[in-house]
Amino acid sequence: MKIFKLPDLGEGLPDAEIVEWLVKEGDAVKLDDPMVTMETAKAVVEVPSPYTGKVAKLYGQEGDVIETGKPLAGFDVEGEEGDEVDEQPIEDSSSETPGEDGKSREETEESKPAADVAPEDAGTVVGAMETSNAVVTETISSVGGIKVTPAVRAVARKLKVDLALVIPSGKDGIITRADVESASRNPDAVTPSAAAAPRAAPATGRTLPSGEWEAIRGTRRTMARVMSESHKQVVATTLMDDADIHHWNYGQNITVRLLRCLWAGARVEPGLNAWYDGEQNMRMLHKGMDVGMAVDTPDGLFAAALRNVHNSSAEAMRASINRLKENVNNRSIPPEDLKGYTIMLSNFGVFAGRYATPIINPPCVCIVAAGKLVNEVVPVLGGFEVHKTIPLSLTFDHRAVTGGEAARFLKAMLEDLARPE
Amino acid sequence: MASVAMVEAVTMALAWELTNDESVVVLGEDVGINGGVFRATAGLRDRFGDQRVIDTPLAETMIAGLSVGLAVQGMKPVAEAQFMGFIYPMLDHIICHAARMRHRTRGRLTCPMVLRAPFGGGIHAPEHHSESTEALFAHIPGIRVVIPSSPSRAYGLLLAAIRDPDPVVFLEPKRIYRLNKEEVEDNGEDLPLDVCYVLRDGTDISLVTWGAMVKETLEAAMSLEDRGISAEVIDVATISPLDMDTIIESVAKTGRCVIVHEAARMCGVGAEIAAGLADAGLFHLLAPVKRVTGYDSIMPLYKMEMKYMPSVKRILNAVEEVMGIS
Repeated sequence: MKIFKLPDLGEGLPDAEIVEWLVKEGDAVKLDDPMVTMETAKAVVEVPSPYTGKVAKLYGQEGDVIETGKPLAGFDVEGEEGDEVDEQPIEDSSSETPGEDGKSREETEESKPAADVAPEDAGTVVGAMETSNAVVTETISSVGGIKVTPAVRAVARKLKVDLALVIPSGKDGIITRADVESASRNPDAVTPSAAAAPRAAPATGRTLPSGEWEAIRGTRRTMARVMSESHKQVVATTLMDDADIHHWNYGQNITVRLLRCLWAGARVEPGLNAWYDGEQNMRMLHKGMDVGMAVDTPDGLFAAALRNVHNSSAEAMRASINRLKENVNNRSIPPEDLKGYTIMLSNFGVFAGRYATPIINPPCVCIVAAGKLVNEVVPVLGGFEVHKTIPLSLTFDHRAVTGGEAARFLKAMLEDLARPE
Repeated sequence: MASVAMVEAVTMALAWELTNDESVVVLGEDVGINGGVFRATAGLRDRFGDQRVIDTPLAETMIAGLSVGLAVQGMKPVAEAQFMGFIYPMLDHIICHAARMRHRTRGRLTCPMVLRAPFGGGIHAPEHHSESTEALFAHIPGIRVVIPSSPSRAYGLLLAAIRDPDPVVFLEPKRIYRLNKEEVEDNGEDLPLDVCYVLRDGTDISLVTWGAMVKETLEAAMSLEDRGISAEVIDVATISPLDMDTIIESVAKTGRCVIVHEAARMCGVGAEIAAGLADAGLFHLLAPVKRVTGYDSIMPLYKMEMKYMPSVKRILNAVEEVMGIS
């Protein structure tokens, strides 16, 4: 049996009254034949038969009030499957159209219980509105240490107030609307509002008119986060020594040689080409080597991965170094290249500086930094020679690596660098 | 502080302004005795009387004309178009009078009216009750077009719209009228017009949206976070005049942008934003700007309407495409 449910005969009408049945059970009817007249709050309406077939059941007597969406008449229609008699009201059963991704179905199902619990008067509109009493709050943003709600940030935008200059008075350092408005009224005021006074002027820079505070964004912000994380976790120890490269053949590329010597070190002491997870106290020794190269840009520091250093030729390494530099300059470096390296190298010496205490980016446990090439006086066979040397600084995470391992790693590097090629 | 749904926040703002500004009147079809078909004006006639909360005849042209007349003579009418689908007869008064009154009179007269209208799909409504044609209004110089996306913004932006000395079309995304609640303090504090609201900070991609689509966009951003993609979500809120500065500033940081709107794509507000990015943000972009929108077809009836409207999945697909480019 096909069930015909009372449609909304007006606009937002909850029900209608049966005035007169024009058919009776057992009658054969044609599509669009007059079937019943119904009276709504607006008018008397004749409802035609929705099917060609036989009237199987009438769901009300003349004078009965039928709710919109409830069964009105049942039909036997040839060649058509029947409906479940206890079918849901119209808006529940027929609106379940699985969308391209099942989304609409899911949403319909979500809305069902919500609609059931809606206790309030949701209006007189035809349709089904998603209703919930769940209370939501908007997230407070805290970019660059500035804590602010979307509304207050919009107020600052409207009043052209730089949030970095506003001294917060709210709980946990949140900038309030009053803070922004007071900053807008006194753009030159360097003293905070009375409410904020106790925590005033944490940075001396705020009282100097010589520069403007700016929020730290993007790469520079990532650098700040990574560095302070590292500082909190890593037990860093630094060893320094000089590599004698006097015997190098002509045309050696320093970066390529540095990369190669890292792998020479790792063959002797794999514990430095490793990851360490301090929380779970586990480490992973890597079978190959991907080197995170520190690259300096105006936006901040990148560490970009050079893959498969352990089995790359000098030419291949040089090519991938060039590609990496180009990518960084174009800001087109794929995000996956900014992670996943197993050991780190910094070549700060191209600018200046002999030794450093470079900082490890966890989960790595070792970073090697090469300083500026220097000519050193070296004792040779009872005399002296001047040799070109590279000052090396190796920081290791002492939670994961012993001093002996680090020293042997450094020694293997020095030996590899001392070779002609 | 009370937790209210967005439609209740609208009522709250209207009540505040009716209480505190005698020149405010509310008018429209069924706004009085019935309390509005969505209950946005529920109880206001009982509190403020039928001189200030006025049931009009079923004549949209008249509602708009009456509002223009009241406004230029010093009142602050807040008119309701019962649905955006019924707003089109009002366009003549909006375009030819409300929008240009200040200009026409060289600033002697302004037209401080608000035209409220529920809009958008997703409530299984009958034909022409579900469209999002905000771009029509955004194209008219001289009016503001404001779209809230949460109870607190409905309250604050509606107050600002009523207080603004120029005409504001205030479009209420009806799908989220009762979607959830938010604590809104009934303190008469308005929120700034003409600026975007940054709802979520991110560094990899900027998702720009407004109205009911803020819901799907925030859900997409949360799902992206699980995949390690940091999405910034911007609720444009005032689509005209458009605050391109916030959007460009965001894209300068992320390099990527996906615009999400329920309205059809052709000449939608998303096109204007994309053009603004091409104009002033080109050198920040790492990938083309993508739009996730309704389709350039008549909005389907309710069985199919969720297929028409951008889903979280469609947003995620667009983000994936953009992230894959560079």
